[in-house]
Amino acid sequence: MIDRHLAAMHHSEAAVAVELQTPDMTLNIGPQHPSTHGVLRLVAKVDGERLGEIEPVVGYMHRGYEKLAEVRTYAQTTALVNRIDWVSGFANEIPFVRAVERLAGIEPTERAQYIRLILTEMARISSHLLFLSSYPLELGATTPLMYALRERERVLDLIEGVTGGRFHPNFNRVGGVKPAAGGGSNQKKVSQDLPKGFLAETRAAMQKVFDVCDEMVDLILGNEIFVERTRDVGVLPADKAVEYGVSGPNLRGSGVRFDLRKVEDYLPYDRFDFEIPTGERGDCLDRYVVRLEEIRQAAGIVLQAVEGIPSGPLQAKVPRVLKVPPGAVYVRAENPKGEMGFFVVSEGSRIPYRVKVRSASFSNISVLPWLLEGALVPDLIAILGSLDFVLGDVDR
Amino acid sequence: MTESPSDARAAAVAERVAGLVSADRWSADHGTAIVAVSPDRWVDAHAAVKAGFPFFSWLSAIDWSQEVSVGDPPSAEDVEERYQVLSRLADVSAGEAVILTTDVPKSDATLPTLTGVYGGADWHEREAAEMFGIRFEGHPNLIKLYLPDGFEGHPLRKSFPLLSREVKPWPGDVNVEDMPSTENVEAGEDES
Repeated sequence: MIDRHLAAMHHSEAAVAVELQTPDMTLNIGPQHPSTHGVLRLVAKVDGERLGEIEPVVGYMHRGYEKLAEVRTYAQTTALVNRIDWVSGFANEIPFVRAVERLAGIEPTERAQYIRLILTEMARISSHLLFLSSYPLELGATTPLMYALRERERVLDLIEGVTGGRFHPNFNRVGGVKPAAGGGSNQKKVSQDLPKGFLAETRAAMQKVFDVCDEMVDLILGNEIFVERTRDVGVLPADKAVEYGVSGPNLRGSGVRFDLRKVEDYLPYDRFDFEIPTGERGDCLDRYVVRLEEIRQAAGIVLQAVEGIPSGPLQAKVPRVLKVPPGAVYVRAENPKGEMGFFVVSEGSRIPYRVKVRSASFSNISVLPWLLEGALVPDLIAILGSLDFVLGDVDR
Repeated sequence: MTESPSDARAAAVAERVAGLVSADRWSADHGTAIVAVSPDRWVDAHAAVKAGFPFFSWLSAIDWSQEVSVGDPPSAEDVEERYQVLSRLADVSAGEAVILTTDVPKSDATLPTLTGVYGGADWHEREAAEMFGIRFEGHPNLIKLYLPDGFEGHPLRKSFPLLSREVKPWPGDVNVEDMPSTENVEAGEDES
């Protein structure tokens, strides 16, 4: 029996057509696998090296935020939402507080909007830097991780300096942002907001971010193995992406020039110059390059914002017990992973009647069965990783 | 931005879509265009708007219930018992978007599936099915998405209790922290 297999292998090398018996095999990938960014299980039918039908099994991280939000006040819910996509926690809070502010008719102060915008873009840089370095790791390149995480740490330090938290800031309040860490309620007149030296350190850190982007271009995009493994692999056509609600860099990688920062007014992005990078082929490499370019754009926005940041109060006038008038609103934001939005229904009390969380990764990986069918098993991790999902953002 | 250009844009979108799908009613409060159709027009309405709004953003539901086991009940005591299903559709160019909605009775919570029109509706319908107990007829694979196979009940129904609150009252109810008062927030000095 073994001899026959060896003989078959030998013959196939000599380009002799040998019919091998290859019944479909069911391959379980995950739930514990380093490239699944959490706990995702894929049940794959495999025919030799070809993937057939794929059934993603999600829900291992389901925490029921929509139910939890129905028993919490609006202020308490902001502490929950930054745990949905935990690698860009700050950005998660923005669509939620904006939704509540819309319903309540409260306008955040100018300075608070700028601080929100700066920290959101820093969250984007941090999230994309993690992708930029962990994705090559999944393909076997260990070195770039060190370079990117070094600069990511600078950005996280800045976020921590302002908010007090590296990953879960819980920094946004309805109508503005929290006074700085340690400020306290007894600080009547000079409530400090940004830590001393924040603006200068931000400029320095953004320069380092530009530098590390150049380094990644040399290290990764100049690497023939990486390019071979990602070019024309996992091609996602634009119409398929749109129909499945794939958003963010994955959508732009497929060539759709669409960015919610350009069409929505949840933060004052219209005051800054930035480009929307897009790919052409919709393959893994395009999705990588788009994120790399987005880091540069985000760093550019941060630099413009720290130049123009206005002074003024951090918090608009908000009633002590916030009761939101009845109504329904959906606010979406361009988060690092894509469109994140909150549909908030109020019935006039202190707590929302219903909160629907639209998270980007959920829709982004719902296209996986379509994308993986017919791909090669060795390409599976390359395709999976290129979508840059976080299971907290899938399972909510 | 409560009365911003986005409100006017939403109203224009809602009115246009309402004409397209022969809607029962529409609204555009807070920049959110919502167009209501009857359940038997649900799939046709989506097919009619797909050309203009190809991006399937999400689908979910609201349980309108007079009695709630968690949270606060609706403000109107005589709210009609029903599930309100909503689906959000958008374009990927101008940034226009609309929510289509329909009401299904609790006694017969069924709705035809949208998977034939929007492939992306697949997982969203599975989620709404397990969370609210709505049957999407014609769905190719209406199995549980998040919940374990043997799970009984539909967690996002208002009648479904939140177990942790049954066991222990929420400390946040008694410990409402002071919001930053007005004299506390007028400072904000620029440090650069």
